[in-house]
Formats: sequence, structure tokens, C-alpha cells
Amino acid sequence: MFFHITLERNMQLHPRHFGRNLRENLIAKLMKDVEGTCSGRHGFVVAITGIENVGKGLIRDGTGFVTFPVKYRCVVFRPFKGQILEAVVTMVNKMGFFAEAGPVQIFVSNHLIPDDMEFQSGDMPNYTTSDGSVKIQKDSEVRLKLIGTRVDATEIFCIGTIKDDFLGVINDPTTA
Amino acid sequence: MAEKGGKLLPKGTKSSLTSSHSSLGSSKRKENRPTKSKKGRKVQFDSSIGSTKSADKTESMFDKVNLGKGGKEDKTGNAAKKTPVKDPQPLELKIEQELPECAKCMMDAEALHILQGIQDQMVILSEDPSIKIPISFDRGLQYAKSTGNHYTDYQSVRSILEKLKKDGVNEGELCVIANACPETADEVFALVPSLKAKRSKLIEPLKGVLSELVKLKQSS
Repeated sequence: MFFHITLERNMQLHPRHFGRNLRENLIAKLMKDVEGTCSGRHGFVVAITGIENVGKGLIRDGTGFVTFPVKYRCVVFRPFKGQILEAVVTMVNKMGFFAEAGPVQIFVSNHLIPDDMEFQSGDMPNYTTSDGSVKIQKDSEVRLKLIGTRVDATEIFCIGTIKDDFLGVINDPTTA
Repeated sequence: MAEKGGKLLPKGTKSSLTSSHSSLGSSKRKENRPTKSKKGRKVQFDSSIGSTKSADKTESMFDKVNLGKGGKEDKTGNAAKKTPVKDPQPLELKIEQELPECAKCMMDAEALHILQGIQDQMVILSEDPSIKIPISFDRGLQYAKSTGNHYTDYQSVRSILEKLKKDGVNEGELCVIANACPETADEVFALVPSLKAKRSKLIEPLKGVLSELVKLKQSS
């Protein structure tokens, strides 16, 4: 789910960046440092939308670097347990399938796929119902519910389920 | 006896033990002979009677103690111990507890609008070779495009959904409803289990909101 949030960060700037373009340099460094990162608390920082406030710089003893407290607004993407979202299937195997929703990877185990769907191996491995009416394969769009999340240094990984009501395939690429 | 039992248990669990012992007296003695309880080896108590967290902890501790001490009695004990399987509680969305208060939940359509604005600016920035556009931005924008295009006008969607706020629906739940594009009220309650408690209060306003949203849906 996307959120618009205000965060604060202490930016250290080398004296060579001081001058007329101090603020621009500070903002450029902030964008370089923060955009694309992820944390467990806020999720992925997708984009910075604006700078609220740049505080007074404090010169560090001994180094000459200056620390500026910067308050900025940004769009973050953070998955939550219990959230419903739509994802695109990227890989299918007998253990389950992998899907992607934005920058987040999701795995749905075969235990969390309805019992009437079975794995079919082949050139295009897929999960299909016994009557062949519903198929989950690469590039299918599925609606799933997140039941767990794990945060690494650079990415967030989730476990999902399609075993509840109103979950499952939305869009089959073969029929589209 | 009680002291021996007490030694094996963490503090604060004695009360549960004593209460369950007394209830056990009538039901359990026919099945099992808790003579061994005197020695502190096996104490079986039905955790379904006044089950508390401490009772469950003691039960797990006694499971470890009972390991490898006779098969039959253990089995019967375990059969008697098993609590009736409860339906697992549906997983509920709890955003407010995990994010700071200043975080504003956005619908995918609103996020799409903002990210597209930033993308236009990025075209200018991308001329500078030192600036790299992060992968998460591309993926976030792609995702917002695929999910945020269900409705023609996100601002009208927002104003329609805001009406549900006075019925106790919070921001996160509103966003889940907007993103999921449900067709019926039953679908809403299935996807957002936290609203089930207010079902009777919400069902009518929800039906009205869904019928208004149908008019705004983009024809695919």
C-alpha cells in the first residue's frame, strides 16, 4: 500500500558543496541516499515529493563536515499483513508461485492455493482447476492476501495466500 | 505435592493449577490415574477449562517432561488434553499501530497521479548522467498504473469513500476498498475482516457507496 509520509534524516555535507547551490546539493544528496532504499518500518521509499524543512547545519568536530537535519515528504510502499493486493505472477513451480507487486516480491505456497488447483508441469508450468476453467501461470494477475512479511537490507519479501474468499486469478493472459 | 508441582512451574501459574486440579478431580480420575501427579511427573489438566496463557505454557512444559515416559498413558492424556480446534482468526489490517501518525494512506490512483508528475520531472533530471532513477520507482509506477486505473477520477472516488468515515471506517480500510474495486458488500467484508464487527451498521451505506463507485469505473 502506498503512503505519503514525512521523514527526517541527518545529511552530512562536505564543505566543497557549500556556496550558492548548497540547498540543491543537499537535496540531490538526499535523493541519492534515500530513494530506492527500504526499511522495515516504512517500506520502500519510492520517491521524494518535497522538502519540508532544512534545519541549521552543525559542524562536526575534527572533520569539517556539516550535518543538516532535513525533513522531507516522500511516497513509500509498504506491505502489511492482512492486506489485499493484486500481483503479477513471475514464476510457477511445484512448491507454489512467485508474484510481484511493485517493488515487493511475494511467494504463495502450494499449501495456500485452493485444493482443487493442481500443479501442471511443462513448457509453461501452471496451477489449474480440475475442470480447466481457472489457470495460474506466468503473467497471470492474481488477487492475494499477505500473511507475512520479511525485510532484508534491500528488499521486502512477503508470503501470501489465495485460499480465502474473493481471492485468486483476476486476469488470465491467455484469454486476454 | 503442590509444592513439587509448583517448582516445575513459573510463578503465577499456581492459581490456574489449583483451579484446574479441582475440576479435574471429577472428570479425569476415571480416565487416568493421576497418582503420578504426586511425584510431579505427570499432571494432566484440560486447558479448555478456563484456559489462560499461563495454563498453555504449563501444558507445553509438561509435554516436554512427559516425553518418553510411557506411551499409552501419554496418548490418552494427550487425547484428553487436546483443545477443540478453534477457527483461526482472520488476519486483520493494522496500519495505524505500525506507522507514525503523520503517514497518510494513499489509494493507488492517488499514488499514480503523484508518481506520474515526478516521472515528468525525472525526464529532465535523467539528462544528468550522475542521477540514476531507482528501480523501486519504476516498479512502483508500473504497479500503480496497473492497479490505479480502475476509476476515471480518483478525487471523486475519495469523496465518495469519505462518507464511510462517519460510520467508523478508517483510512487504511478505505484505501483497501478503493484498491480492490469490490462489486458487492459481501466482498468488502471478506476482504476487510475488521469491518465485520460493524456489519449491521455498515451494510446499507456500503451498498450505496459501491453503487456510486460502479458509475465511476473505467470501461476496460
